[in-house]
Amino acid sequence: MTGLDLHKVFRPEKKGLKPPHYKLMTEAQLEEATRKAIEEAKTKLIMPPVLNEREPIDDVLAEDKILEGTETAKYVFTDLSYSIPHRERFIVVREPNGVLRKATWEERDRMIQIFFPKEGRRVIPPTLFKDEKLGTVFQQDRHEDVLNMCIAQFEPDSPDYIRVHHRTYEDIEKHGKYDLLRSTRHFGGMVWYLLSRKKADGLLIDMINRDLLDDATSLITLYHMLHPECQSAKEAKEQKLEGVDLIKVFVKTESQREGYIQLALQAYEEAMATSSAS
Amino acid sequence: CHCSDHIFDVITSPQVLPRFCSTQETPKDPPAAPSPYQERPWEYLESEEYRATYGDRPVWHGYRRNHKGSVPPQSPRKACLRRGRRVGNPCPICRDRNLLVDFRNVKLLDQFICPHSGVIFHPIHTGICMKQHKRLSQAIAQAQDHGKPQTPNFNHSQPCWASPKPFNLPFPGLLWLQVPFVPVPEEDFSNQHAAVGKTPPAPALREPGQAWYPWYEWQQPPAAEVARMRRLYRGFLKEDYPDTPPSPSGK
Repeated sequence: MTGLDLHKVFRPEKKGLKPPHYKLMTEAQLEEATRKAIEEAKTKLIMPPVLNEREPIDDVLAEDKILEGTETAKYVFTDLSYSIPHRERFIVVREPNGVLRKATWEERDRMIQIFFPKEGRRVIPPTLFKDEKLGTVFQQDRHEDVLNMCIAQFEPDSPDYIRVHHRTYEDIEKHGKYDLLRSTRHFGGMVWYLLSRKKADGLLIDMINRDLLDDATSLITLYHMLHPECQSAKEAKEQKLEGVDLIKVFVKTESQREGYIQLALQAYEEAMATSSAS
Repeated sequence: CHCSDHIFDVITSPQVLPRFCSTQETPKDPPAAPSPYQERPWEYLESEEYRATYGDRPVWHGYRRNHKGSVPPQSPRKACLRRGRRVGNPCPICRDRNLLVDFRNVKLLDQFICPHSGVIFHPIHTGICMKQHKRLSQAIAQAQDHGKPQTPNFNHSQPCWASPKPFNLPFPGLLWLQVPFVPVPEEDFSNQHAAVGKTPPAPALREPGQAWYPWYEWQQPPAAEVARMRRLYRGFLKEDYPDTPPSPSGK
């Protein structure tokens, strides 16, 4: 359903001016190059993981009352061995009152970024991830950039990551800008979010308007897999429906915007009829 | 000529020659009047006088340093205000008191960024002084951090991923900075390891109410030690000095 628009996936990045590069290829070489490009695009379109929020860490390892009053600042001890994965790294904090506790997730992320810097990630996250600033970025239609920056900056199970992603998906759904994420790796996440909250109508209308009937049917099948107890799922299973009938059953039973979807379906069928007639 | 007075605030009072004795200060320029666009510097770039002065071109277009010989100086000027006096031929930002370097006036900051590569122009190329260049870089970094919006005339007809045209960008927003493609991390997200999960409590703490270390509470010293101490201080200890201290409940 994500769609593979090669022109969008490999769109020109801002790198610097170089004169254009021309290559003369035979048909076979061109096919080979296209095939390679499609494979590379598929690696770029791998969906990032969708996880629940992580549990906060609050574990006390020792309480040494004897150290109370000796220091004025916290000490953070980080295990810097090179070959451990970051999630197995021990990071502990000694408070001024003598308590030795494990570092919280935010402290862990900061320390790991200081000692093992990752490209595209800053120690203090940029201000544009705050709620009030996100609105201005959405006005510029830069949802995809925001989501890419979010993946670079936060871990997939951190609350900030989840909050930014939910805000983005909600804004897209409010304004109907589904096409912005099509052919990017964030499309899957958006579809999952909308379907788990049963807000699939806008997306369905958008797909029918763009004549993507196969995508629409796969969307409905996914909805039935997510919510197998709903009425349209039961009917579809009984009658083993396919294609447009599946959409019609869904529209009758589950959707809130029935009228719009019926109109869109009608328009699509008329267009199909005229194109097949001519 | 239609260039208004704000560009070159000419000093009308007669020039006083600087004196070189230490008792007298060098005469400074009279303090410049504050710009009317102090609070909202982005409005100046929409106004009529800006349009009349600069037209469609960037602010630094046509500025030339004055120098001897054919080769211009290869390092930018340090500052346009030396000891309170303005130099002759100030740089494009210092010569116009309404052009304020602020992270909010995105249009001005955009003129100093290359539209093709997204890199800030070198100050030799644009002609601005080092002090303004430093403030400009900081303002650009701050605006990119904030994800500043562009001006209200936003062109919705072009898709957002079409390539931009130089200087007539459909949306002169500041975030054309390259967002790096970071591949999705492939690690174990289950958080089962002891580093990020719960560790079982220390063996010393099996029962609640116990101290972390046994020596936090009073322990009975070995009898040999007690006897040794008694022998050492026997001239000073009271006769009925107890072996164990009185219990805390007595305090």
